[in-house]
Formats: sequence, structure tokens, C-alpha cells
Amino acid sequence: MELKDLYALMERFEKSGLSELVFKRNDEEICLKKVLSAPPPAPVPVHHDAPHAVEAHAAAPAGEAPAKQLSDTEIITAPLVGTFYRAAAPDAPPFVEKGDIVKKGKTLCILEAMKLMNEFQAEFDLVIVNILVENGRMVEFGTPLFEVRRV
Amino acid sequence: MIESLLIANRGEIAVRVIRACREMGIRSVIAYSLADRDSLPVRMADERVCVGPPPARDSYLNVRNLVTAAVLSRCDALHPGVGFLAENASFAREVKDAGLIFIGPDPEVIELLGDKIRAKHSAREQGIPVIPGSEGSVSNAGEALASAKKLGFPVIVKAAAGGGGKGMRIVRTGDELAAVLSLASHEAEKAFSDGTVYLERYLENPRHVEIQIIADRKGNVVHLGERDCTVQQNHQKLIEESPSPAVSSDLRGRMGEDAVRLLRSLGYSGAGTVEFLVKDGKHYFMEVNARVQVEHPVSEMVTGVDIIRQQILSASDEALEFRQQDVRLGAYAVECRINARSAGRITRFLVPGGFGVRMDTFLYTGYSVPPWYDHLLGKLIVSARTRPEGLRRMESALAELVIEGIATNIETQRKIVAHPTFRKGDYGTEFIGEMLKEGDL
Repeated sequence: MELKDLYALMERFEKSGLSELVFKRNDEEICLKKVLSAPPPAPVPVHHDAPHAVEAHAAAPAGEAPAKQLSDTEIITAPLVGTFYRAAAPDAPPFVEKGDIVKKGKTLCILEAMKLMNEFQAEFDLVIVNILVENGRMVEFGTPLFEVRRV
Repeated sequence: MIESLLIANRGEIAVRVIRACREMGIRSVIAYSLADRDSLPVRMADERVCVGPPPARDSYLNVRNLVTAAVLSRCDALHPGVGFLAENASFAREVKDAGLIFIGPDPEVIELLGDKIRAKHSAREQGIPVIPGSEGSVSNAGEALASAKKLGFPVIVKAAAGGGGKGMRIVRTGDELAAVLSLASHEAEKAFSDGTVYLERYLENPRHVEIQIIADRKGNVVHLGERDCTVQQNHQKLIEESPSPAVSSDLRGRMGEDAVRLLRSLGYSGAGTVEFLVKDGKHYFMEVNARVQVEHPVSEMVTGVDIIRQQILSASDEALEFRQQDVRLGAYAVECRINARSAGRITRFLVPGGFGVRMDTFLYTGYSVPPWYDHLLGKLIVSARTRPEGLRRMESALAELVIEGIATNIETQRKIVAHPTFRKGDYGTEFIGEMLKEGDL
């Protein structure tokens, strides 16, 4: 591949919503990856003074379901802007894991906003099909958090 | 110096602030609602954070989400724009408490000026002429009647927390007073959660003239001359111009000095406007808008001062880039607000151009104007050496402006600008109402 073609590809990739691109032709292979954010060192404790040094959220745009969503599943989105935590404390087990069957009212995650820990609960009985946000990441209003199936 | 700025607003003012950020090398982050996902400021900003669903109370008025968005996107400052939370003291306080710079005056100053009774009291203390009125609030009909008789009818009932004409009522006779008082108080309670009202003598058909102030935190308070905002409909400004055809250079000097003295006495910083009513060559203090205003470009075009830039510098504890003696008045500028009369998709958008023509807008062809917010689509501003030259330029620019797909007020603006009374410059705030009555609009 010519350098100028590579540059064009990089530019196009930069503007796209893709996070990773593998391009193969003949014996050439080019792999482009976006570094969206460095994962935070560890889940942050509940009592915490400084604002989290997390990268601006760069996953799926607010309100849009991920492309791979199965037809019989639903997407649970963030009701507020905050930091997404899967557990109550860094050394605590996550509230839910992929494949878990969850009863209505069980805490799914914590969304921290202005030093308040908002527990976010299941509104119906469900199975966690997929967890769509990494622990410690910033979420916007409408960011898809969980792909679930009603049970 | 501020490095990253969250813009807690939308529309043309968000675009205006993003442009200033770009010029100043500041990273811009826009907070937006789901209804504004495809809007121009969201496209233009360096980063974007969705802060809520379309209703403003859940997004642009959602203090928790806005402050969290600013902190998590690593901003060091927040610009509130105009409207929404721009004059909300408790919001300014929340922003400061989160360790961020609020682009605007201190919360205590916003709070004081938000109370129209206290603001008027501060003006009187500085020896600034105020409209004769009740001493403070009026709470019952008897008290109001005594006060109104002393002032002389007609009187106007105003809300202490007021704005936008809400809680405001004109009373011409004593018989109506009690009923109007409770109505106005009720309306104010609903709009501002504060039913406090007061009385003023009602000035018939005055001019609305305001002084633009910009102040830093180092003691420099400078005025950029006046804007005449007399062309209004239902207390909503339609056209603003500077200089005012009704203000002599002597009056301009006195109003400018009064405005500077008042804001200096309050320790004001940033951009602000001191509003006066002018009647028979006399000016009367009305209120202070503790924020940048929609019509700020008029003063920018006259003086060449970038008000948003100075506002950001001031908030960064930098000095203003000029002093009062550097401000050159004398040129003319006029702004027509371009408002939507329906929501929907813009199928064609052509922006006027040429010498002395500026359009601040967030429209583009293919954009859908959401039905959720303010009707302001943009502002067409022209500058010229004189008023006649400027108004001819505005006529020509309005004729070039094409917005198809939704209903707008462009034709109304053309009629106003062409109207002989407007051309003569001799009218008061009731001008538009009179034109409507005569079927001229």
C-alpha cells in the first residue's frame, strides 16, 4: 500500500465510529486501533475526594443501540451523566456478570455524579446478555450500559 | 488561563462560544440534549457530552448532569451562555464548589442582581435615577393602593425575581389593583417560585436602552456604549441598534458612567448589561442582566471588541485587553433577530454576506429545528458608518437571507426595517403593538 493511501485510510478511520480496523490485501495486513481511554488503574473506592481522571466517554453515541444487539434483547441506558462502577468497592465483586439472572430491584451498577453514588437497579427480571461499558468509564445520558433479556 | 471549557447551552450562542474557544486555543466540550444531537455546536465542539432528554428541565437545566459532565470531561471552566442557568446563583455556586471556573460574575453578585428590589436599591445608593416606585415589596392591597396613589396611575406591578414580562402587569385605576396584584404575584410564584412583587410608576411608551459593560477582576470596568432595544413585541426584543437614535452624547456619557459606577460598586466581573428606560431625555435604571446578552454582537460590531473573548479572559483572572479610553464609539450597527414560527427541517438556507454583514446562527441546510426550545434561529447583524447606511444594508441583507422549510419572521423584520416610523427613529416600546393594530405587520 502506498503511504498516501495509508494516510487516507487513517483519516477515514479517525472520523469513523469504529474502534478497530483490520485491512488485509495480498500479503499486506494493516491494523488500526483507537486508544479510546486508558482503563483506570482500579475501581475507585466509594469515599473519594478528587474528580476521577477518566477519559471522556467515546463508546456508542448516547441513545444508540450497539450494532450487534440481538433482536430479543433490550438495552438499558444511563439515566444520568456520571462514572460507571460495576462494584461497590474496588475489592468487592461486581454486582452482576454476563449471564447472570437478575431479579427486579437488584443493583446493576453504580453511577457516581457529584460525589454521590447512585445505585442503579433492574426494573424487571432479566438476564445480563452483555455489559457494554468498562468499569470506571464516564457515561453520558443515554449511553448503553447493559444488553439484557427479560425473563 | 482556561484550557478546557464546557458550554452548558445550545443554539447560536453555543456556536459563538465555540468559535471564541477555537481562536483562543481552548478545548471546547458541549453539553447537549438528545434533541440537539445533530446540531451545529455539537458538530463543531472538540468533544460532546449528552446530558439528558429533550425537555430543558432534564438536560440544559439539569445542574447535576452539567457539573458532572464538566468535571468528568476534565474541563476547568463552564460557560452558561444566555438563558437556561446563566443567571442562576445556586448553579454558579455548584460550579465553583466543583472546583470549576464559572464564566460570569460571582454567585453573590448574581443573587443580588436577580432580586430586582435589591438591585434597584443598589442603583439608588449610587445616585442613579430610578423609576419612582414602592419602597420594597408590596404584600397587600391596602399597602399597594396607598403606594400607587402616591406614585400616580398608571402603575406597573413587577416581580422581584422577574424577567421576560412574567408577573408584570399595568394597572390604570385603583379598582383593578387588588385583583391584578394577586394575579401578578401568582404568576411570579409559578414562574420563579417567588411571588414577591413591587410597584413602579408606569412610563408610557419609553425607549429601552441598555449599556454594555465588561469588567475584569483587576478593577477595570469599561462600557461599550449603548444598545437601543425599543423594538419589542410582548417584551421580547426584535431589533437592537447602537447608537440609539434617542440618546444624545451627553445622555450617553451619563448612562455609561452610571452603569460603570454601579457595577464597580458591586465588584462585578465579566460581561453584563445595565438596562434603562429613557423618556423625555431622562434615563431611569431598570435592572442588570448579569450575563452576556443575545444582542452583544451589536456592541462588538460598533467597538471591535470581542465580548466573549474578554469574558473568558476576565474569568481566567487576566486583565481586559483595552481601557475605557481605547473604546471608539461612533460607528453604527443593527441586529435583527431571526425567529422560527414553526419547527421542522430546513430545506434551504442561504446566508447573506458582503461588507459589514455578520450572521450568528446554528442553522444549516438539512438541519431539523427541534420544537423544544427558544425560537431564536440566528441574528443578522450589519455595521455601517451611519444609521441610514446601516438600515439600507440591513434591508439588502434581509432580502438575501433565505430559510425554507419552516416559517420565520424574516418578512416581519423587512417590514419593520422599511417602516417610516422606524426609519425616523422616533418611537417607543409600544411601536410594534401599534403597527400590529394598524395592520402594518
